[in-house]
Amino acid sequence: MVSISRRTLMAGAASLLVAPAVAAEPDSFRIGGIVSFSGAYGIIGQSMRRGVEIAVQERGGKVLGKPIEAMWEDDETKPQVAVQKATRMMSSNVQMFFGAVISPSTLAIMKLAEQRKLPVLVTASADDRITGADKSRYAFRTSGNSYSENMSVVQHLKAVGTKKIYGVAADYNVMRDGWSLVKQQLGASGVEIAGEDFPPIGTGDYAVIIDKVRGSGAEAVVVVLTGNDGVTFVKQAGSVGLNDKVRIMGPNLMDELVEKAAGAAALGVQSAIRYHFTLQNARNQRFVESYRKAFNDYPDPFAGEAYDGMAWWLDVVDKSGSWDRDKWVDAFEHSRREDSVDGLKTMQACDHQAVSPGLWAEAVKGAPPMPELTMKVLDTFPPDVIYAACR
Amino acid sequence: MTTLLIGLSLGMLLLLLSAGLSLIFGMLGVVNFAHGGFYMLGAYMGFQIAQWTGNFWLALVISPLVIAAAGAAVEVLTLRPLYGRDPVYQMLLTFGIVLLIYEATRTLWGLEYHSIAAPPVLAAAVHMGSIEISAYRLFIIGFGALVAAALFVVLERTPMGVLIRAASANSAMVACLGVDVAKLRTGVFAFGTGLAALGGVIAAPISPIQLEMGFAILIDCFMVVVIGGLGNIRGAVAGALLIGLIRAFGARYLAQWIDVLTYSVFVLVLLTRPRGLFATAERHA
Repeated sequence: MVSISRRTLMAGAASLLVAPAVAAEPDSFRIGGIVSFSGAYGIIGQSMRRGVEIAVQERGGKVLGKPIEAMWEDDETKPQVAVQKATRMMSSNVQMFFGAVISPSTLAIMKLAEQRKLPVLVTASADDRITGADKSRYAFRTSGNSYSENMSVVQHLKAVGTKKIYGVAADYNVMRDGWSLVKQQLGASGVEIAGEDFPPIGTGDYAVIIDKVRGSGAEAVVVVLTGNDGVTFVKQAGSVGLNDKVRIMGPNLMDELVEKAAGAAALGVQSAIRYHFTLQNARNQRFVESYRKAFNDYPDPFAGEAYDGMAWWLDVVDKSGSWDRDKWVDAFEHSRREDSVDGLKTMQACDHQAVSPGLWAEAVKGAPPMPELTMKVLDTFPPDVIYAACR
Repeated sequence: MTTLLIGLSLGMLLLLLSAGLSLIFGMLGVVNFAHGGFYMLGAYMGFQIAQWTGNFWLALVISPLVIAAAGAAVEVLTLRPLYGRDPVYQMLLTFGIVLLIYEATRTLWGLEYHSIAAPPVLAAAVHMGSIEISAYRLFIIGFGALVAAALFVVLERTPMGVLIRAASANSAMVACLGVDVAKLRTGVFAFGTGLAALGGVIAAPISPIQLEMGFAILIDCFMVVVIGGLGNIRGAVAGALLIGLIRAFGARYLAQWIDVLTYSVFVLVLLTRPRGLFATAERHA
């Protein structure tokens, strides 16, 4: 029987806790991708993985002269599963984490990764805490956050001069905070709040709330719901023609995935979006072409943001010429992406939140070869009006 | 009035599911966790048929028949060998079937959302004074009432209904009288799963078709069945309407308290009438 002295054990544990961020040069650059391939947001993980695959493929599958090896795990849209999978991946010596989809998973992964000084690249989760109250030296978000998406709603409503609005937000902190921000910003501008409702997440029927919105005299309803809840609201609103009387919009309400589920009811619904495949710039056109060639489909916002974040990160890592993870972090927090798929993106060193122009779009009928229903970008907001000042 | 109509439509949709669940429990004594899975499968199958034919009505007829056949196969192959054993085995089995249905559906139809449009004749909103409601919801109310009436007539007024009720009360005695109880059980399970699939197709034009759709509604179904009394169809009708109306009026006046209200009623019934609101006293010799 092998005996281990207490001193040896303590020394071993201590060495784990203070593991250096630099290791001997490995055979490959391992990315630990933890996303949702099943559960409520299962469809998003597949898009994110595809976006990353294009980013890796675009650079010949290599960074720092070594092959890139992306390992993928499904968190089943549950934070406790994300922690298990992340712990397992750390024992496989990943150099970084990518993910997750839902914010609770991302926050859990960030806590684990910080102890091991592993960078985390976030391109989907929107909770403000990721780059706010719970920010980490090793976590970066290259996509928009909840604040910027809600501020896009505010900017749009101010621009079109709406006088009276109704709010429907899921009874969940992030969603309620989002609606509070919209209400406070527009209230200060003299916009009347006709009513507000906070149905629980997973509410299967919004018909009564839709009827309240209809009777409220509001010109627009701000719907702070996502996923199944957002689809159900839009679909049921369409069945009584709500969009003919009250404009339906939200910070994260509509994209091509939701349109497919809501069908014709989605037409005319407006939303902040993070990315769109029709954006006219050289990098985006190249990305869309590669994506369509590989997957015979147009990239959705999650694929676009995953591609953009990973391509940016890998460029910075490669340029650092080092396997020292702290050097990657130092370089990335001061970097700018002049030619991102969304235009100029700037990483804020103070909170590791990238800022970029906000997109405002409407669901319209698409002409072939585009999807039958697609988003049309109507407006663009500069970063300084939709992102909070860096604290 | 709009709220009342919406509540009735929710109740009728719940009834389609909970009636099958209640029948299966009453006849087979099985707490069928797979019921939500069959509901989801019915919606996906309906979507597929609507895609192929472009006809909602065909989807409404064919999908429940296909799923009922699948239900019969499941009963014969998996549940039948377990009737004599501890009910825990049956519960575990139905739980396993849920996972099987989930994975099969994911493989066949993928992760993306799907949708069925309401038939054109029911696509518009109906205006009656200050009431505005989608025509499709009125259809759900009418269709649900028809199904409830048909169930009542079959169970209470036909020889088949007498057999089912007798077998629910004492299957061994019915078997002694020469009735093939095994076939009867298969028929009831198939009918119950067919009803679940019917609910799935009916729900599809007002809800997204997605893999999680069976989980959330199953909780409401179990509440309906418990409130009404396990195995009691009249109770299921009353329970479904009660839950539907609580959800609708809750959304009208206290949206964030809908779940608390619904679960409170459920707990209250369990505390005061643990055998359900419509349980009848058993007579013993």
